Amino acid sequence: MSNIAGKAYAMNVVTPVRWYSAWLNKLYFFVAARTPSTLAGLKTLSLIHYARWVIVGRNQFPHLSPDQPREKLKYAYMLFFSNFNGSWDQYVDSFTFAIPGGLDLFWKGNVRYSKSVSLTPFHRYIQYNQLETIHYYNGYPLATANDIKSAKTVRDSLLEFDKTIDQGSDEEFLKRYHALLRGLQHDLGAMYPTPIVSMSAYQVEKRARWHSAEANREQANG
Amino acid sequence: MTQQLDLLDIQGHILRAYGRFSYPMARYVFFNIRDSGKARRFVESVTRRVTTAVVWGAGVNDVPQPDWTVNIAFTYQGLKELEVPRASLMSFPPEFAEGMKHRKDILGDDGPSAPEHWDPVWQDNRETRDKDVHIFIALNAVALPITEPSAVEKSMAYCEANLQAAYAWLLAEVAGANGGVVILGGHRGDDGELLDYQDVKVVTENGLPTAKEHFGYTDGISDPVFHGVPYDVDRLIGRGKQMDNGSWAPLATGEFLLGYIDEAHEYPPAPLPNLLARNGTYMVYRKLHENVASFDSYLKQEGQKYPGGEELLAAKFVGRWRDNGAPLTAAPDAQSKAKFDAAYAKADSAERDRMLNNFTYDADMSGARCPFSSHMRRINPRGSLEMGREDTDVPGSLKKMAGAFDTPGALSNRRRILRRGLPYGKVTDRTTDKGNHGIVIMMLNADINRQFEFVQQQWINYGNDFKAGNDKEIILGNHSSDPRFASRAVLQVDPAGDDVPYILSKIPRFVETRGGEYFFIPSMTALRMIARGVIDPT
Amino acid sequence: MANVSGNAYGLTILSPIRNGVVRGAEISHADAVREKLQAWNHEFNSPMASVPQTYLCRFYVLDDVVTQSLPGGSALDSLTDLSPYIPDALRRWALPAEDHLQSAYLVFSSNLFCGPAGTPDAYLHGMWNAIEARVREIWGHCYGFDEVRNVDDFVGYMKKCQLEATLFFVGSNDAPLEEQLKALYLKQEFAKFAIDNQGLPAAQLRANYAAFVQRVQPENVQGPAWQPGQYRL
Repeated sequence: MSNIAGKAYAMNVVTPVRWYSAWLNKLYFFVAARTPSTLAGLKTLSLIHYARWVIVGRNQFPHLSPDQPREKLKYAYMLFFSNFNGSWDQYVDSFTFAIPGGLDLFWKGNVRYSKSVSLTPFHRYIQYNQLETIHYYNGYPLATANDIKSAKTVRDSLLEFDKTIDQGSDEEFLKRYHALLRGLQHDLGAMYPTPIVSMSAYQVEKRARWHSAEANREQANG
Repeated sequence: MTQQLDLLDIQGHILRAYGRFSYPMARYVFFNIRDSGKARRFVESVTRRVTTAVVWGAGVNDVPQPDWTVNIAFTYQGLKELEVPRASLMSFPPEFAEGMKHRKDILGDDGPSAPEHWDPVWQDNRETRDKDVHIFIALNAVALPITEPSAVEKSMAYCEANLQAAYAWLLAEVAGANGGVVILGGHRGDDGELLDYQDVKVVTENGLPTAKEHFGYTDGISDPVFHGVPYDVDRLIGRGKQMDNGSWAPLATGEFLLGYIDEAHEYPPAPLPNLLARNGTYMVYRKLHENVASFDSYLKQEGQKYPGGEELLAAKFVGRWRDNGAPLTAAPDAQSKAKFDAAYAKADSAERDRMLNNFTYDADMSGARCPFSSHMRRINPRGSLEMGREDTDVPGSLKKMAGAFDTPGALSNRRRILRRGLPYGKVTDRTTDKGNHGIVIMMLNADINRQFEFVQQQWINYGNDFKAGNDKEIILGNHSSDPRFASRAVLQVDPAGDDVPYILSKIPRFVETRGGEYFFIPSMTALRMIARGVIDPT
Repeated sequence: MANVSGNAYGLTILSPIRNGVVRGAEISHADAVREKLQAWNHEFNSPMASVPQTYLCRFYVLDDVVTQSLPGGSALDSLTDLSPYIPDALRRWALPAEDHLQSAYLVFSSNLFCGPAGTPDAYLHGMWNAIEARVREIWGHCYGFDEVRNVDDFVGYMKKCQLEATLFFVGSNDAPLEEQLKALYLKQEFAKFAIDNQGLPAAQLRANYAAFVQRVQPENVQGPAWQPGQYRL
């Protein structure tokens, strides 16, 4: 298993929702998606690349062939997928510290949901319902969501700046260059392999080491 | 929400930074248990002399201030050797059971900070049964009040005598234990010799004791303040937690003491039975060597290029000026610093304390005053992580996203740590990193993983929460010597001004770990129960 | 369409895994899927690295659903506490039900660039074209996949397995993957440039910057950039 790929952690949580109230959950999400304040906390935390909530009705599990037995479920289910930066603890804790109300909204009415404050019952609820990822692929393992956003700022700024390279004197260039740096002063952090966030990240480390050994071999073979 | 703490049940070390109460010297001694029964009797005897957190004074129920204090704590292995039942042992958190050495990957103790470079006492710990560190005993010695410079020598001699008396007492206790416990030697001393103890002592400047460490910074100014500590009530501003309206409230007791409600409105996870845990806490002991030559030469080299000069640059590393600890948020440049100094000179001690602590980052959200990678901002970001930017904002600026979080300090309040400890060693030659000098820092918290380890890993050795990628905290970060992973830090400027941010590059490692371990500091009740062997989790 | 946020798409696939034994081996289909996916972790890079426009994706096996037994905090969980006289039978009735799946499911979740089209079709085409054999290796254990003969069958199959998201949150960026990788490369390179050229006289800085632009080609996403899934610098 690998819940971790580079700087991202894959979380999967599957929880039952009473089938007759599942429409309410969909409504909460519908409203949340259109209410900027609900997502302001998530955006400010800035730990998530992509997150998704999926509600599947008790009769909506995909049925692909006559050989496949039909589901006979009592509940609808909510599937949660998150791609976040940092360790499990950091992520779960940050959410309960910063946006307890938002979490309670998203899991509202889920059977035996603990509420997000206090922390320990919430930890237990997530752990109880979490499923381990077997294979996790990350297109940019060295980058966090913050890095992706700031990289876009850097590129947009450079493209704009480059239009003026040849304009004016060297001194004017220098002034513009300083303004460029000033505008990017929160976007110049290094991107290196992450510090190890959990013992299971050893697996990731191992892969990284293997990669660098491969790289050396490639170089040696010219 | 008034919380009455049972001060007679809490070890004094937890609530008091002794240095602030005129104890400028201390000796830390570590023991290996050779016989469980005898060791318990040793603990019982020592416990009778352990210093509690009681208020000192001359009242009916008050206790006089002792000439020297005694405090005691145990490692996981130590509790096992004292025959605390297996069911209790298994209820301790995994990081405590593993110990600092085996958490090196989480803590970033790599390269010159790796365990193979630690003092022998720490290198040998958790390798063989007979060299495991089991018990920690701290002796702090009081000095005479210093009213004039000429009294310094007498005061320190008095302190030294107290420390000798305390150590003599301890040696007698060890002798009385009849081989039940042995002192573990192997602390590197000033001349490379190996000592039976770790001595710490305030750094003196021109013969006067200071609150500074060897790089010249004043240390431990903004230790957290939480509910129920009687001698901290007037120290709340800037040290508690930042509230919505800009006021300050004491942190929840359960962030620092087991058995009390914490910031998540619950009792922090604690070992069983409850009596073992209540009024106890965890202590992280770390011996940190300071590379003074690397520090001085890097500061000089960069200070020549940095537009604000060397001393402002030194302040940028930490977020406070070296001479008096003035925060950059209040005194961001030489001009404002001069004004600050004038006011500071006239202020009484309460006002001085307020001047050093009463600030937020609300007016410095872009870091133009206190950089994002400075020590102070990384260790306690106060309300500043509730930050963001919108497309229409001035490029390079960040602003407060008020209301985004439950409270402004939501991401900081559960990462606070009590800091104890003093510098060790003496710098005799500032042109070399070698030698034995640094600080012994003891960090106290209710959850090592959530508080100390988190700050160490995410805020000191990494920078994503500060939108700084892998950039580390400047002073304590485990900067790599591998050029592919060279450390940098951006010193931000006013986004609306004309200045250009200065980028520190190839930051050398200023501080190296020389050893340490995780300890449990039990309450007086728990100490007595451990000593009697009556802990029973069933 | 809650699967789409801007130009990003949240693809959620639940494919039923066959019950019974893998022919000729003493292993269940679900375990075989897990074994094969585990092996992907030890390849030079994930096969998904060659599927165009994949930001982040994951595979897991949903063996069964979990019956809730922890104490809960929601109103319905504690309805039976309103009266102290509720009989035990009713108390038991009010406990969370035990629920079970009839087969395990392979869960494939991908976050990808879909562009203005707002559909996963192009992505699924790309996936089949890039790693058809690897897709068969995994999905071959799922019900109905033996009917899949070509790319159109594959897209049709996946759409039958697809679930609609109720909320898809994009916390970083919905630009094409190449643009994101180019931007990351530029960020890293520009920071290095800023350090190496700090404090230089204006004319020299200008010349160096021109050379820098020549080298890194900021506008050219096909030019120097990070590779998808690149682990090392």
